[in-house]
Amino acid sequence: MPVRVAGLVVLAVSLEWSRVLALRAPGLQGLQAVTLLAGGAALCLLAVGRRPEELGLGRSHLGERLLGGAALAAVLLLPAAARWGGGPGLTPELGVAAVAVSVGEEVAFRGVLFAAIDQAYGPAAAVLGSTAAWTLAHALSHPAAFLPAVAGAGLLLAAWRWATRDLVGPVIGHALADLAL
Amino acid sequence: MRRRAALLSLAAAAYAVAAWAATPGFYDGIAPPQPYRWVSPPPQFKSSNQQPLTGHGSVRVASNGSVDPGSIFTQDGQAAVSFVPGAFVAPADRSPVTIDVKPVAEFPNPDGTHLSTNVYCVTSSSALAPGKDVLVTLQFSDQLPAPSDVYEYQGDGPWQKIGSTGSAAPFYIAVRATSLGCFAAGFPANSRQTAQGARVGGGQALPIIVALAILLVVLAGVPLAVMRRRAAAAEEGDEPHR
Repeated sequence: MPVRVAGLVVLAVSLEWSRVLALRAPGLQGLQAVTLLAGGAALCLLAVGRRPEELGLGRSHLGERLLGGAALAAVLLLPAAARWGGGPGLTPELGVAAVAVSVGEEVAFRGVLFAAIDQAYGPAAAVLGSTAAWTLAHALSHPAAFLPAVAGAGLLLAAWRWATRDLVGPVIGHALADLAL
Repeated sequence: MRRRAALLSLAAAAYAVAAWAATPGFYDGIAPPQPYRWVSPPPQFKSSNQQPLTGHGSVRVASNGSVDPGSIFTQDGQAAVSFVPGAFVAPADRSPVTIDVKPVAEFPNPDGTHLSTNVYCVTSSSALAPGKDVLVTLQFSDQLPAPSDVYEYQGDGPWQKIGSTGSAAPFYIAVRATSLGCFAAGFPANSRQTAQGARVGGGQALPIIVALAILLVVLAGVPLAVMRRRAAAAEEGDEPHR
């Protein structure tokens, strides 16, 4: 079981880092949206063979889950909204790519990895472990000053996953936050 | 249940503190920041510098006679101009309005101001409509001190500070400009500018999404909670008394 957890951490973080490095490759800079889409899809592949319920993607109480997503988005965006000063949004292609990456990251970190750590070591380890892996995954793409906020977001989304056994909320909240910023 | 809610609230509070410390707060950075492309790179960036790219776009005149809204980006994303419907005067022949954004190498001396970005000149085939403005967004290098304001000049100058409205993402600064000209971000040369990436805010969609999310939670959450409470009460009522 520890080998499986470690393997998932390495795989999820490697996929994120590969996407970042691919985006920096001179030949791929014009294919930003495609690279992001591929990165999101690759993360989703980690869920192959797992039941949706195992990942928190059940359909019961769907209204509450969607509402939870809206609440998470509001919390994630409030610090930025309080200092909002205008600016152009994402292009439609990058918007679609942002949603793909959000879904992929939630499925990989709060879905597959969380479930694996939870099964092996319990919920506290799942919250902290998935947050640590998620923060590590962003270490290449983010300046160090932003990593505490990334870790904070990971902790909040993982805490939601633990408290409600739901992944729909984090997917919705994460995607909305990415689209807005 | 209460314990879970308390821990969830604690996580939200921890996030709020961490996010407040690094603007804009939630920044997932789906695209990593690319090295800034300089027209005239500072010495430390000379060896790896790539020349900045231009931006060009056209917007059509809608059936109501108003020029459509839009955003024109340079191809490297370092400068952008965004505008609302009717920001430009519609040409008499209803032909599309073309807008160009070009980095320039020569510009008036910005006396007393340290420019942190390239100078970008914005031109259009049709004038800006009276009383309208455009949003000019400029990227700046994450390796240098952040600019505090956007400066503009027209013709031969001089440079004028036109302020800042924050921006869409880390390492971007934006301003609403009531005239087209040449723009750069910078700070007074005599100020001590050390913080990087501090002048940020959110995208156009940000306040709308936050407002809608809060509205949705309030409008849908209250009846949902009432329904759940009623259902729970009904279940309790159905249970046989012992």
